[in-house]
Amino acid sequence: MTRRVSWLLWWVSPALLFLLWWYASARHWFAPQLLVPPYKVYDTFRTLAAGGDLQDNLLITLRRLATGFAWGCLSGIVCGTLLAVNRTFSDYVRPLFDILRQVPTLTLIPILILLIGIDEPLKVVVVAKAVFFPVALATYGGVQGVPRDLIEMARHYGLGRAGLLRDVLLPSAIPSLLTGIRIAIARSWLALVAVELLSADSGIGEMMEMARQMLRIDIVMVDVIAIGLIGFTLDQSIALVQRRVLRWQTPNR
Amino acid sequence: MIALHATSPLRRRARGFVLPLVLLGLWQFAAYRDAVHQYAFVPLEQVFSALLELARSGELVVDLGASLRRTTLGLATGAIAGIAVGALTALSRSAEKLVHPLFQALRHVPLLGLIPLISLWCGTGEFAKVFIVFLAAFYPMVTSSFDGLRRIDQRYFELAQSYELTRRGWLRDVLIPGALPDVFAGILQAVPFAWITATSSELLFNAGAGVGNLMQTAQAGARVDVLLVCVTGVTVLAVAMGMLCERVAQRLLLWRDHA
Repeated sequence: MTRRVSWLLWWVSPALLFLLWWYASARHWFAPQLLVPPYKVYDTFRTLAAGGDLQDNLLITLRRLATGFAWGCLSGIVCGTLLAVNRTFSDYVRPLFDILRQVPTLTLIPILILLIGIDEPLKVVVVAKAVFFPVALATYGGVQGVPRDLIEMARHYGLGRAGLLRDVLLPSAIPSLLTGIRIAIARSWLALVAVELLSADSGIGEMMEMARQMLRIDIVMVDVIAIGLIGFTLDQSIALVQRRVLRWQTPNR
Repeated sequence: MIALHATSPLRRRARGFVLPLVLLGLWQFAAYRDAVHQYAFVPLEQVFSALLELARSGELVVDLGASLRRTTLGLATGAIAGIAVGALTALSRSAEKLVHPLFQALRHVPLLGLIPLISLWCGTGEFAKVFIVFLAAFYPMVTSSFDGLRRIDQRYFELAQSYELTRRGWLRDVLIPGALPDVFAGILQAVPFAWITATSSELLFNAGAGVGNLMQTAQAGARVDVLLVCVTGVTVLAVAMGMLCERVAQRLLLWRDHA
């Protein structure tokens, strides 16, 4: 009896919130433009989906995310590994890396707009920057954290530099790398939405900004929900990969 | 390539300066090439003079003050609310079940993505701006207080029960010391994040005084020098805040271990 009740409790607050929303809009506590009723939001969602607006913009945004992520992730892994493995490289690059790492991505946006314009490159660069640093840092931590005995043992077996990298260092760095990727995705999703809000020409952020200017709160809400859902899905997919990797790793540790 | 002697520490530190200096040199070179380049690559002295100009006209102080004020207000309210909610959900299972779903649902919406919604509902005044900073501080604080309290070893609870501690003693000797490291980690994370959220949201709200607004006007006027001053300022302050919190946290944790 208590078990079922306690399970039901999980649903109480979302249900309450939904009921409150529905009641408040039905009773016109606020202007209908301000507090859009749930069914209106759903209707708008259907219209947008049917017209293809929502999908088109989402696709554009996701494509930017993918491109920037690819660039940032690849260069981040390379840089992080180099920093951990090569002392000279680290001497030269680390201070600059640490300085640039601290500069918030969002604060860079106005300068980037002036330097490289407001087209696609801007958005890709912003995402790449947001992805590069967490990934590089995570790779660095992961490679650095490989136990010395493992490396000694690999050397003992005659593993050369390349082999060491490929078979020992990089696989051991994967858990840390996955955490870094999770952080990177969250940050870059945030930065991408912000860039699109600021330099609107296409994409889900632009859609939201246009809707805001036209005071279409229903469209804004549909967009907010879409953004949240995608952020959630991306995060959970990486979490899934993390769990798989953990299962694979645990017998060894 | 193998050095017969270890590179001296001084030499190694000097190497760190090479890249930044080279980049600065390239920047200056690009700035002086021709007038077209000066549009984007502003000579460094101009950045300096922009800084002085802003300081002298008082604009820097006004904007900085406004942003800092919002950050502090949002941080204070967000941290207190966050700790309260985190503690509540950690200590009471039913509270956790009530709050968690909504909490998790909103967590994945990027804060700045909420700004259009918030600006439509609450306008673009002080309240809306402080509210965003409040949210920025609220989320990490809830998570860290929740983790901090949940992570306290159950044995301490049993020990406290066997000593028959009063409510107050419970709080002072078990809960607070146990949760403190995680809460501090949360604060450490929340402070620079709140600052950055404050300045970035000002870019989007675009009304009133604040560093973000300074940046918005500078961007509209293509003043890369002012923008560089702002970016440097925001970064330096974010780092300084982080370091300050770390120092304070270390001091307090030391006191906790010795008390």
